[in-house]
Amino acid sequence: MTATQTPPTAPAAPSLDPKPSSKKPGGIRRIGLFDGVTIAIGLALVAIVVIPLLRVLIGLFWVDGQFTIDPIVRTFAIPDLGELLINTLIVVGGSSLAAAVIGVLLAWLNERTNARMGVVGDALPLLPFLLPPVAGAVGWTMLLSPRAGLLNSWFRDFVSLFGIELETGPFDINSWYGLIMVFTFYAVPFVYMNAAASLRNFDTSLEEASRLSGAGAIRTLVKVTLPAIAPGIGAGLLLCIWFGFGMFSIPSIIGTPAGIDVISVRIVQLLTFTYPPETDIAVGLSGFVVLFVGLAYMMQARILRKGRFATMTGKGSRSAVTDLGAWKWPLRILMLVYVAGSTLLPMFALVIVSLNGYWTPNIGWDSLSLDALRIAVLDDFITRQALANSLGLGLAGGLIGIVAAALVSLYVARNRTAFARGLDVGIKMPAAISNMVIAVGILLLLASPPFNLSGTLIILLIGYLALYLPQASIAADAAVSGVGKELPEASSVSGASPSRTFFRIYLPLMVPGLVAGWALLFIRMVGDLTASAILAGTGNPVVGFRILEVFNGGSYALLAALSTVLVLITATVLVLVMVYARRKSRFGITTKVG
Amino acid sequence: MPSTTAVHDDTTSRAVPGADGATPSVRVEGLRKRFRREDGSEVLAINDVTFDVAPGEFIVLLGPSGCGKTTLLRTIAGLETPDEGVIEIGGRTAFASQRGIAQPPERRGISMIFQSYALWPHMTVFKNIAYPLTSRKGLRLSRADIETRVRTALAQVGIPELEGQYPSQMSGGQQQRVALARALVSNDDLILFDEPLSNVDAKVREQLRLELVSMQRKLGFSALFVTHDQTEAMELATRIAVVDSGRIAQFGTPQEIYSAPATRYVARFIGAINEIEGVVSAVESDHVVLDTPHGRVVSRDTSAGLLVGEGAVALWRPERGHLDTEEPNTVNRWRVTVDAAMFVGSHTEYLVRSGDMSARLWSPRFEDVASGSSSWASVSPADVRVLPITDGEGGPAVTGSIGTTGYSA
Ligand SMILES: Nc1ncnc2c1ncn2[C@@H]1O[C@H](COP(=O)(O)OP(=O)(O)OP(=O)(O)O)[C@@H](O)[C@H]1O
Ligand SMILES: [Mg+2]
Repeated sequence: MTATQTPPTAPAAPSLDPKPSSKKPGGIRRIGLFDGVTIAIGLALVAIVVIPLLRVLIGLFWVDGQFTIDPIVRTFAIPDLGELLINTLIVVGGSSLAAAVIGVLLAWLNERTNARMGVVGDALPLLPFLLPPVAGAVGWTMLLSPRAGLLNSWFRDFVSLFGIELETGPFDINSWYGLIMVFTFYAVPFVYMNAAASLRNFDTSLEEASRLSGAGAIRTLVKVTLPAIAPGIGAGLLLCIWFGFGMFSIPSIIGTPAGIDVISVRIVQLLTFTYPPETDIAVGLSGFVVLFVGLAYMMQARILRKGRFATMTGKGSRSAVTDLGAWKWPLRILMLVYVAGSTLLPMFALVIVSLNGYWTPNIGWDSLSLDALRIAVLDDFITRQALANSLGLGLAGGLIGIVAAALVSLYVARNRTAFARGLDVGIKMPAAISNMVIAVGILLLLASPPFNLSGTLIILLIGYLALYLPQASIAADAAVSGVGKELPEASSVSGASPSRTFFRIYLPLMVPGLVAGWALLFIRMVGDLTASAILAGTGNPVVGFRILEVFNGGSYALLAALSTVLVLITATVLVLVMVYARRKSRFGITTKVG
Repeated sequence: MPSTTAVHDDTTSRAVPGADGATPSVRVEGLRKRFRREDGSEVLAINDVTFDVAPGEFIVLLGPSGCGKTTLLRTIAGLETPDEGVIEIGGRTAFASQRGIAQPPERRGISMIFQSYALWPHMTVFKNIAYPLTSRKGLRLSRADIETRVRTALAQVGIPELEGQYPSQMSGGQQQRVALARALVSNDDLILFDEPLSNVDAKVREQLRLELVSMQRKLGFSALFVTHDQTEAMELATRIAVVDSGRIAQFGTPQEIYSAPATRYVARFIGAINEIEGVVSAVESDHVVLDTPHGRVVSRDTSAGLLVGEGAVALWRPERGHLDTEEPNTVNRWRVTVDAAMFVGSHTEYLVRSGDMSARLWSPRFEDVASGSSSWASVSPADVRVLPITDGEGGPAVTGSIGTTGYSA
């Protein structure tokens, strides 16, 4: 604070000062138009999640204008309630545990050992996007159905060479193991992504220290590495549980024929296939989903609080790779088999069956043609309508979702206020609530007067937006944080107004991330079955709804054809976005600062 | 705020003339900025800072890591809002807590070079540099004018051939030059630099430093330059502000800071120093006498205004000390043992010890003094600075500067 002034200072400069504005001391700026619009959008997004959720919770105690515990009583009176709950817990628990083991193993192999294959590592988290769960469930049915399943039949042909004759089987997709297996395939990426990220950020010197202390590779893995990445695994498991309770397509296509009923399927049955709809009981069952997912969240929070997981340095050195020796190739082949088995095989089955025109193990390889596909999809009016609706909803919903989420992310990043943080939590909340519950809430709220949106595309759009908001928000966060702090600051200092900074700096730099986010939303929305089963009808058919209808009608070739089209759409979008992302990377937008 | 815009419009014409033609480029008064850490505790990143920068000055803010240099720069740029105080830029109030004025950065008409350069990766070099010209309100330039000015700026920083490149396709030094060109292109009166040279290697850094100085002297803008490298500070600055945990510990020319450090903190932070603590035994008009465990120390420096009986510390620079085999004819002399002699090219450094006191002496001549041999160390009273002992205790965790350890008793 010593102010030695070498040159003489002028007396107070002539009054060139700006007039004191309405700004408060401390420079709190008024909320501009830009921020005002953002806040309105953010609040709307939070509302379409929170209000339906409240509707469900209130619905448990408030029916036809008066307080009651009737829905709860009637829920507990469901004759097979115990079986329903236990089934659900077995499927979700079993698949989550299996996914944890497989996911961690794959992540470790790909991040920390010389068996790693960059491509496989990159592809793993993308696999479920390539093959939406509905399509996957149908594909596995085509492969492992006891009589007509392609794999079963080929297996029987093979063993008959050794004189063993089988009539059916030996595998049956409509079984406990079949159901848990397909659930697991879709749960693995959740664990893989989180575990791989933790392993990447994990300070390898801890592992080295353990090896130097005389512990072997396996002991080091169990004693040092796994505990350090426990939070990552926990987060992955939580996602598996959340996914499992909300998952509707796999259990309805694989579990129902096996007589394995789970909560999500029952809720949809009560709402859409029962007349009159048993809304009360559906709401009561939704309460269980809220309860279980909530419990999983609390456990995760406790794990995080108990341990001081402070080992992350953000600078995992890439050189520390475990040499697997002779195990390298067997493990690599195992990884490839996993990727092929979990995704490529069911895709193959779908394509073959739809090209063949009907589902039979005896494929006429010469008579494969696109005719069946054309007849099933393009010549069918309702299917065409469903496709058009789904594509339209995916395009529009994805765009609206990602742009809205980007505005909110930007606002949250630039305003570190309690309100901004609340908005952020609100927009990510659907991740904590099961998809099923939100969809039920939206149906209860918007299908009845005064909205009467039942059977419209609007209700589907709102449902999709509410369901896939967290994904949009996370993608947008990544895009915003990728821009960093200094690039926009440099723009302000250069004299650019906030809106100019947004359009010239933020937007161009965020576009690659936003396009990826849009693709993700598009794929989720087009392949959605959860909201579609509850919110769509013959008046507003979408692909997911149509698949379910065809499945219930028992036309398997048509089912395969529809699923193939779904996979084609998804794969096309994914490939286009990846090509685009590669082209964009020539800017090397790695000049990450701040 | 139409009035602001109107004022802003003519900022590109050089310095707003003041009543007597000496409006400071920047005037900062009573500035304070608090940060709340994640754990709830508070940091006073800027603590009552006041200073002026005259037009054409090159001011270096020098201080250890975390002392608040970047924060000070960012408040002047408008990227951070202070809690209290006044900031005037070119005679216009950019911030005044009392009057509720807080201009956003885009209205302040200054340029800044970021530590990471902050070049926009999706724009070519040309577009990056043209950006301030197309962004500034009221600066309507024709396409031809913009091209001329961008090319001029590129030529000034010596990379005319790179205008079509993207930032990711350039070396660190080249990116640095682009950032500099972007700051120069709008001809602002004030350019802020946040450790712009810390990301390039030593050779390039030296080169850029020289170019920067000559460019600044030629173009005449005022510079506010943050660094924690004292050599850089000495070389660039017309005046240096030494920052100590949010305060300015001393503000003066490099010579003043070096030869008359205002506090022990400053003395230790800049260059190497020897220290002896003691008690004032006599204060005369032209000298001060200290009683120390190592005998009397006499100094011609009476600026500290000390009283007899007060604790004080005597400080002197190693190059002011002498080493002789014969007993010298100076009051401040000690019989010492030479612990080590280190030849470093420009001079020889001797580590000497007298009882539990050790000191360093630099001599331009190299004499082969055997370790352990006994000798005389001395320093002239004119070269000894005396400061109150309470001052600067618990000084900074000095990093990266040679020989800052005090050899106090
Ligand atoms: N946004 C912030 N929130 C909380 N504390 C902050 C923030 N920015 C800076 N600080 C704190 O303010 C103090 C000064 O920080 P500043 O960045 O100005 O230091 P600096 O002198 O530039 O250091 P360096 O030389 O390392 O860049 C530090 O203690 C820092 O932790
Ligand atoms: Mg800094």
